[in-house]
Amino acid sequence: MLRLLVSLALAAVGSAQSPLPQRYRDAGVLRWGADAEGGAPFVFVDGTRPGAGEVGFEVDLARELGVVLGVELRRVQAPYESLVQVLDRGDCDLVLNGFEPTPARRELVRFTRPYYVFQQQLSVGPGVTGVRGLADLVGRRVGVLGQSQSHQVLLAQPGIDIVVYESNVTAYEDVVNGRTAASLADLPIARALRPLFPRLVDVGEPFGAYYYAIAVRRGEPELQRALDEAIGALLANGTLERIYREWELWVPAEARLGDRDVVDAFARDGDDRAAAELHWGAVLSLLGTGALRTLGISVVSFALAVLLGLAIALLRLHGPRPLRWCAVAYVELLRGTPILVQMLLLYYGLGQIEGLRLDAVTAGVLGLALNYAAFEAEIYRGALSAIPRGQREAAQALGFTGAQALRHIVVPQALRLSLAPSTNDFIALFKDSSIVMVITVVELTKQYQMLANATGRFIVLGFVTSGLYLLMSLPLAYLARRFERRLDRDRA
Amino acid sequence: MIRLRGVTKRYDGRVLFAGLDLDLVPGRTTVVTGPSGCGKSTLLRLCNQLERHDEGAVSLAPIEIPAGLPHAAWQRRAAELRRRTGMVFQGYHLFPHLSVLANVTLAPRVVQGAARAVAEAKARQLLELVGMAAAADRFPARLSGGESQRVAIARALATEPEVLLLDEPTSALDPASTADVVAVISDLRRRGVTQMLVTHDPQLAKALADELVQLG
Ligand SMILES: Nc1ncnc2c1ncn2[C@@H]1O[C@H](COP(=O)(O)OP(=O)(O)OP(=O)(O)O)[C@@H](O)[C@H]1O
Ligand SMILES: [Mg+2]
Repeated sequence: MLRLLVSLALAAVGSAQSPLPQRYRDAGVLRWGADAEGGAPFVFVDGTRPGAGEVGFEVDLARELGVVLGVELRRVQAPYESLVQVLDRGDCDLVLNGFEPTPARRELVRFTRPYYVFQQQLSVGPGVTGVRGLADLVGRRVGVLGQSQSHQVLLAQPGIDIVVYESNVTAYEDVVNGRTAASLADLPIARALRPLFPRLVDVGEPFGAYYYAIAVRRGEPELQRALDEAIGALLANGTLERIYREWELWVPAEARLGDRDVVDAFARDGDDRAAAELHWGAVLSLLGTGALRTLGISVVSFALAVLLGLAIALLRLHGPRPLRWCAVAYVELLRGTPILVQMLLLYYGLGQIEGLRLDAVTAGVLGLALNYAAFEAEIYRGALSAIPRGQREAAQALGFTGAQALRHIVVPQALRLSLAPSTNDFIALFKDSSIVMVITVVELTKQYQMLANATGRFIVLGFVTSGLYLLMSLPLAYLARRFERRLDRDRA
Repeated sequence: MIRLRGVTKRYDGRVLFAGLDLDLVPGRTTVVTGPSGCGKSTLLRLCNQLERHDEGAVSLAPIEIPAGLPHAAWQRRAAELRRRTGMVFQGYHLFPHLSVLANVTLAPRVVQGAARAVAEAKARQLLELVGMAAAADRFPARLSGGESQRVAIARALATEPEVLLLDEPTSALDPASTADVVAVISDLRRRGVTQMLVTHDPQLAKALADELVQLG
């Protein structure tokens, strides 16, 4: 009660100097964007206690900010990589989600004063020796969350073989598996995940000083100042420290939150700096490399899918009974479960078994091939069944064995029937192939995301990337249409 | 030559033939006639074992196929028997993905292991024989019914069968095409090719038969 009074008093003081813009006060709501998938300790769904729901130190922080500002803070779910866009579109009013004021982001949005100082923690696998700090990582594979502060830190240290992950959990997973030697992570995340990875060994003291700050749209300096003062109030009355201690996030470095240079670190005068010029040579070379990788992965995995799919279809129609059942089970299993889950199981699941640890590209190609084989098998089964009985009889009457009739008469005709639907499947696989980014493969879409996040040029890079996809898929679509026309002609 | 002894064929418990004997005479054309549904096609298909019989034996010396063989053994002997017979279907059943020439050369190459050049030279002779030499590079979808049936005859002859089985080879054709196909069959008959021909057309039967078998 006393605290509430204090907060209200502070809110009154705050509104006297930098009031929350009128429209937010009218609405009584500020919507904050965050990704609950990012995990502990920021914003996450606690599944370990009944009825706990959405928790995290930022959930607590948001609640307290709301008290100071006199409005309700309502969370909006958005993917971490898209938080800036979601903010820009007006789907939320601020971003509060372990958001680091990187130079690229500062081009796009306005940041408040930092509300948390975080450091970096290096962790190595159980069998790794001789690593005492970043300098010892040269020539080794080191996992890191893409676009994170840790990623930047590693990039600044030449000679490290960096493997980029979609989440810190999978990055740690691969350290334990031995695919990578070490992983660098923001300290709060490292602390929160430590119970899940008891075999990881932390190396050295946490180092560096980086900041989380709240992002608002560029054109809203009033909102920024209102939030600045609210953060200041929570720091002054000890609320921040209390929250961070509750989450075991309080480190000595937090003492600097009140320092003038920290407070002003990301303040801007409001004028728009010109966006950095893209170096098109570098951009096209990166995207081109990504496109080639996409093409390679697609072609190899589809070739495998065709062979495997044909084998499955033949087994299903002509194999001995137990194998027929296996073929049916395979198709239903692979068609009936999400390819994302299959991919993660193949890479991280199998990765826990010593002899079955596939490298990322192999796992990606295999995952796509195994999944698409199920769809190809159904196409071929339909086509094989569509070949008239008389064709096999004619072959038999000429003395062909069953296998010879299949090979020379039935299968070639079925493949021709399948050409158009198969080509369409290939186009689909081609676009689906970006899913391999979840297992650290950097292909065209991932390369685009990384470039766009680093430069903030989402739209122009998006057009270039789409152009590259089209450049590769249009000839395929053209081929599919030609196959269809040719088939119609043959049947005439 | 193909010989049936005491052959019985049943469908779903219904007896189609019981204890049938039949001897094809080498060098002669045997015509089988009878009303629709009496079992003409079935009889022909028994001769090359596209259908299995329930009792009795089908033979083409030295191959002997008694009823009730285990499946694998039957398959082996049936395939052996079929390699020595040729068959022409009412609906042609040409292979649509292969050119006319390839339709004719495929069996010699795959089943008999003939060299490509040898098989092609032979195929061109046969296409000449049935009057289809000019169509060697065309595809079946581009042929008329009569042309298709003549190619089918060439295809059936390509493996040099001891007997040619023809199932209503003209019943799907217009009169002009029928005349072309009948001319080819008559020509083969003159050359002493052993043939067994099924038809429900009495005129055709009279025109082509050395031996006549009346069913039903
Ligand atoms: N696979 C089968 N299962 C059951 N009955 C069959 C089968 N094949 C043929 N029959 C029956 O056997 C009988 C003889 O058929 P078949 O085709 O030999 O006659 P057909 O004399 O050739 O007739 P058509 O002149 O119409 O061609 C018919 O009554 C037919 O219904
Ligand atoms: Mg018939």
